[in-house]
Amino acid sequence: MTFEITEKDARKMNNKLIQLWRFIVLNLKILKAVDHSKRS
Amino acid sequence: MAKVVVIGSGFAGQTAALYLGDALGKKHEITVINKYDIFGYTPSWVWVGVGQMEPEKTTFKLKPVYDKFHINFVQGTARSIYVDDQYVLVDKANGGGEEKTPYDYLMIATGARLNFAGTPGLGPHDGYTASICSLSHAINARDRLFEAIARMEKGERQKIVVGTGHPGATCQGAAFEYLTNIHKVLEKRGLRDKADLLWLSNEPALGDFGVRGLRIKKKGRALTSDEFIRAVFELYGIKWQVQTGVRKVEPGKIYWENYEGEEGETDFDFAMLIPQFLGPGFTYYDKDGNDVTDQMANKGGFVLVDAIYGLDWDTLAETPEAWPAVYQNRKYKNIFAAGIAFAPPGSISRPFVNPNGLSITAAPPRTGMISGIIGRIVALNIIDLVKRGRMTHAERMTEMFAACIASMGDSLWDGSAATIVIYPVVPDPRTYPNEEGRDLFVTDMEMGLAGAWMKRMIHTTFMHKLQGRIGWKLIPE
Repeated sequence: MTFEITEKDARKMNNKLIQLWRFIVLNLKILKAVDHSKRS
Repeated sequence: MAKVVVIGSGFAGQTAALYLGDALGKKHEITVINKYDIFGYTPSWVWVGVGQMEPEKTTFKLKPVYDKFHINFVQGTARSIYVDDQYVLVDKANGGGEEKTPYDYLMIATGARLNFAGTPGLGPHDGYTASICSLSHAINARDRLFEAIARMEKGERQKIVVGTGHPGATCQGAAFEYLTNIHKVLEKRGLRDKADLLWLSNEPALGDFGVRGLRIKKKGRALTSDEFIRAVFELYGIKWQVQTGVRKVEPGKIYWENYEGEEGETDFDFAMLIPQFLGPGFTYYDKDGNDVTDQMANKGGFVLVDAIYGLDWDTLAETPEAWPAVYQNRKYKNIFAAGIAFAPPGSISRPFVNPNGLSITAAPPRTGMISGIIGRIVALNIIDLVKRGRMTHAERMTEMFAACIASMGDSLWDGSAATIVIYPVVPDPRTYPNEEGRDLFVTDMEMGLAGAWMKRMIHTTFMHKLQGRIGWKLIPE
C-alpha cells in the first residue's frame, strides 16, 4: 500500500485550526528534545 | 586571565562566542576570528535563492554584538595553528597583514570549505551550476533562476535540476527545500507547466537526508520518509533520481554514476547542486616547526576529536559512544572543534561503493541546530575549564535533536512546509531499542501550514538569539 497525500490531507494542511494544533504539538516535541539537550 | 579564541562565526562559533562572552568576557580575553564582518543566517538563503527574502534580512553586523559581550573581533582568515606555542596565524582582511592571535583555549568552528573543485564544472564561479551555500551564491542562484523564469515567460520549456553535486555530499535537506520553493514560485507565477523539476541525489533512498531516513506511525501504519517524500514529489509533479553521484558538469549537462555502476548524463537549463564539504584545511605546526596536520585533522581537513575512528559502519551503527561527546582533540586538549569542522566517526546513512569503486555516500549533516548545540557544549566546557578546571558538559549526536523544515513558500497564510523532527539525529539502538533507534514521540514528519509558521518562528527567534538580544539564552539552539 503506497502512501499518498489525498485531497482530505491537503485540506487539513491548510485548515488554520488544525494547523494551530499541529504547531503546538511540533513545539512540544521540540521542547521535549530540548529539555534533554539543556540538561547535558 | 585566560585567552579564548573562536575561529568562525557561523551557528557554532556565534553561539559559543555569546556564551563565552557572557560568562568570561569581562575578566578574560575572548577573541573571534572571522573572514567576514557579518553573520549570515544560512537556512534562509533558500528563500534568498528564490527571491522570497531580501539578502539583508539574513545578516547582521558582528562587531556591535561582540562589543556588547566584551569580545574582541579580528576580521581575517586563519591560515595556520601553532599547537605548542598556542597561537593562530591570521591574514587580516583589507590588507591588514599577518597577525598572531594567542590562545589558551581554541575552538575551531569554521563551517564548511566548499569543494567545488572536487567535481569538475561544478559551482557558480568556475562551473555551470548554482549554489546556495553562501550569501553571494544564493544571490547568484536567484539571478540565474530568474533568467530561467524569463525564458519560461517567453514560452521556452526549462529543465531544473536540484540536489547533490558530489558522490559524498551532505546537506540534502537544504537542497530539497530549495527545490520545493522553486516549485512554489513557479506555481505562483503560473509557470509550473513550463518546467521539468528533477531531484538528483546521492542518498540511498528518498528522504534519507544523510541521517538514514526515518519511520513514524501515520494513519495507523508505519510510514517511511522515503514514502513521505515520494508522496510530496508526486503531489508536486517532481521527478527524482537517487543513488547517484555526480562526477562532472559541462554546460547544460550533468554526468553521473549510480549504485549499479552505470554512467549517464542529465540535461539541465538551471541546476543547483550542493558541493562536497571539506574541513577547515589549516596547517598545524608543533614547537619545532614540523607540520603535524595529519595528527590534528583527517584527509578532508576535519579536526580529529574525541570520537572513535576507524570502526566499520555496522559496528559504528551499534556504538553510540563512537560519536564525540565534548569535541576535544585527544592530543591537544585545549583545542576543540564544533559544527562541520569536527571529523565525524563515519556516515549515519549506510555507505555504498559501486562496482566501479566509487563511494556514493551521503555525509552526516552537522549544520544549523546541530552546530548551535555543539557550539554551546564546547563553550560551556571551556567556561568550566577556565573557572573550575574540569568539564561538566557532554552531548553526542546520538543525544541531539534536529528539525529540518523544508518550506514551500514563505506565506504565513497559505504557505506550507514539510517538517521533519528527528531525535536523536544519530540513531541510538541502546537507548531506543526499537527498529529506528529513535524516540518515536518526538520523531515526526508532516506537511502543512504549521511548518511555515515553524520556519518563520525559527528564523525570527534565531536572528534574535544570535544577536544576543534580551532573553537570548532562553531560546534553545
